[in-house]
Amino acid sequence: MSTASSGIRFDSVTVAYDGNVVLDALDLTVGPGEVMALLGPSGSGKTTALRAVAGFVRPASGRVFLGDRDVTGLPPYRRGIGMVVQQYALFPHMRVADNVAFGLKARKVPKAEIRTRVAEALDMTGMGAYARRHPRELSGGQQQRVAIARALAIRPDVLLLDEPLSALDAQLRSGMLAELARLHRELPDVSILYVTHDQVEALTLADRIAVMDKAKLRACGTPTELYRAPADAFTASFVGGANLLPVTVGTGGVSFGDAEIKADTGGVARGASATLCVRPHLVGLGDGPNRLTGTVREIQWRGSTHRLYVDVGGHRVMADLRELKAPPVHGESVSLHFAPEDAVLLPAGVSAGEE
Amino acid sequence: MALLALVFLYPLALVVQQSFRPDAGGTSVQPYADVLASSAFREALWTTVWLAVAATAGCLVLGFVLALVIAFVPFPGAKAVARFIDVFLSFPSFLITLALLFVYGTVGMANGAWTDLTGAEQGPFQFLTTPWGVLLAEITYFTPFVMRPLLAAFSQLDTGQLEAAGSLGARAPRIVRQIVLPEALPALAAGGSLVLVLCLNEFGIVLFTGAKGVTTLPTLVYGKAILESDYPGACVVAVVNVLISVGLYGLYRVVSRRAGA
Amino acid sequence: MWALFLVLFLPLFALPLLVVLGASFATHWSGVLPSGLTTAHYEAATRGEALEALTTSLVTATTASLLALATGTWAALAAAALKQRHRKALDALFVLPLAVPSVVVGLATLVAFSQPPMLLNGTRWIVIVAHSVLVTAFAHQSVSAALARLDPAYEQAAASLGASPAYVLWRVKLPLLLPSLTAAAGLCFALSMGELSATMMLYPPDWTPLPVLIYAATDRGALFTGSAVAVVLMTATLLVLLAVSRIRTRASYR
Repeated sequence: MSTASSGIRFDSVTVAYDGNVVLDALDLTVGPGEVMALLGPSGSGKTTALRAVAGFVRPASGRVFLGDRDVTGLPPYRRGIGMVVQQYALFPHMRVADNVAFGLKARKVPKAEIRTRVAEALDMTGMGAYARRHPRELSGGQQQRVAIARALAIRPDVLLLDEPLSALDAQLRSGMLAELARLHRELPDVSILYVTHDQVEALTLADRIAVMDKAKLRACGTPTELYRAPADAFTASFVGGANLLPVTVGTGGVSFGDAEIKADTGGVARGASATLCVRPHLVGLGDGPNRLTGTVREIQWRGSTHRLYVDVGGHRVMADLRELKAPPVHGESVSLHFAPEDAVLLPAGVSAGEE
Repeated sequence: MALLALVFLYPLALVVQQSFRPDAGGTSVQPYADVLASSAFREALWTTVWLAVAATAGCLVLGFVLALVIAFVPFPGAKAVARFIDVFLSFPSFLITLALLFVYGTVGMANGAWTDLTGAEQGPFQFLTTPWGVLLAEITYFTPFVMRPLLAAFSQLDTGQLEAAGSLGARAPRIVRQIVLPEALPALAAGGSLVLVLCLNEFGIVLFTGAKGVTTLPTLVYGKAILESDYPGACVVAVVNVLISVGLYGLYRVVSRRAGA
Repeated sequence: MWALFLVLFLPLFALPLLVVLGASFATHWSGVLPSGLTTAHYEAATRGEALEALTTSLVTATTASLLALATGTWAALAAAALKQRHRKALDALFVLPLAVPSVVVGLATLVAFSQPPMLLNGTRWIVIVAHSVLVTAFAHQSVSAALARLDPAYEQAAASLGASPAYVLWRVKLPLLLPSLTAAAGLCFALSMGELSATMMLYPPDWTPLPVLIYAATDRGALFTGSAVAVVLMTATLLVLLAVSRIRTRASYR
């Protein structure tokens, strides 16, 4: 497979149902061999984007490219894409081996080759021993593996995964995450578009994450970029959770209510309103730089950590602290602090106002 | 599509056409005038309608009670009963009439028992060849058609709701009236209108009672076409019958769709 | 409640069938129980005219239900691919035979096929055509209901694997619909076996289905023979339904 034939490109793709825009002019490129996570809440348009690649929804405008091939007008069965959906959709009337062979038979691959490729796909997903079973005799995790094997058997350049882990319980999910990461290492040329609402899945698997909200692409970048330096408030709170404090920009810092906070103001003009983003786990208890004082409103013990909700001048500040020997009590006055380099200043644009 | 049009719509259109062609030739509304004026037609129309309405009412009451028992009173064999209903529905309607002939006929079971016991010449059950016999048969045969949608509706009823009502001190009749009945209303309406249509169109039961006094629209169609060879007349009756049934069936679809929503 | 149920249910629904069964073995029934037990009616009911009628009914019902199943399934599949408004029109067209009285369907068939270009009157085909029309509506309804319940994910998964629509239909949709198809076939068969009203308008002398024979028997007063034939009819229907449901359980187990 040549480089030119793989990868996905959305060129200003808009999808509307009955005049209702569910995907608004999406521009996005997934490179060959790249894992791109589409992350967003339900109704954000991420699944619609995936279905536009698969060919199940027709864009109202814009083009979809697979490699350098414009597939916008092609029916799904001529696109050559592997797809795995939330409910697996294994054919209940076929055995596991026949399910995996389905795509190959439909493409009239010679029989002998079908056999070797089915065996290969099943081995790759660790389901070789289950070839003679029916789907209903398998557990959810096993069905998931068969669904992946079925999608991989046709050796697609592009693999679409639509919330593939959301039907599994928490323990199986982390196992399958590791499994997917291993598969990707074994198939380095396959581009993967991975739709999820779970930021852990996105952060773990993806080379890049595209954050979507209300039919629009909000931000796109590597997990580190999005986590360390989110571009807007929505991305900051959706990827990893964040304290978003309304501040006024000063020189060499910002003012938050009465408190003066040292932070990198970047190129933001003095006197402008902005949002300061601080991750809860970077907030410490007690005296330190950038001290904020407030009243404890709520304490949640989460085993290895304590989460504190502190009311600072009418704003809620969250702090995740290593398990405290003597946690503060409700209503107690406490001091919080964070390092200046741990704060990111976001321009108080439209996005922050929406929150 | 074309096939269906050929074997179903085309014949229907011909029926309508024929109904405007008296034997004398030409095209006129004469057959309509003749038929609509005849007392046989008016009587058949009246009999058809009141039989259908009465049978529907009977089926609704009986079906509601039976479905209530099957759904809410736990007893062994409830499943078997449900299966039996399905089997029952797959048999033709005239079997019921045939059976009733043995049970209530002039020399049947009931009358036989009566004459044995009292020594009377004749039994008291002479209603079989009257519209009442038809009514009884129709209620018997069509009640399962009401029970099926009702059972489906009851199975969706939240038993927690009933238990809550019971724990609040509501007695059984009150629970039925205030909780079960409103839930069952759409299913009752749908089942009822289906039965109404089926009763309007019922032929086998009426034919089998051998009741010369009971003529409904379908038997009138049969009589006019086959026994009297009066095709225009038969077609007129057919058109009237179709209009009534299709109108009601349209109503049934609307109601059942609302019930499904 | 229990007692009330038994009082209502048994006499109304179970008794008629038992009575027909009992009468079929009797020569007299003027007391509480039938008397003069005999199997003579069955000998009559499985010979000559009656046997012919049984074959007639079976052939008619089988042909009609297969025709109806093919047409109904095809129409349901075609309707699913159509736009919303057209689909509604097609659905309405296919359920119309449910609402039109079957006597009228009989009359219409009689009128239409007694004149050129299609002269079928007096042949067995006119009966089969009428039965097919009558039961197609049922086949179409149950197949399109099953089609609506079918998860589109199967079809889409198959399409994403490179299967053309025809391949999807043959290898995925039809096998998944098989249980509903056999159920519809059973329903159509039972309806056609018991169909009397349209048949009465149409049957030629050499193609007399069982219901007509039963009517003829009772009409001339031979009630007990009629019962025996009716029991034959019920048994045949039940056996076929049973066979169909066994196919169905196997199909859904696969």
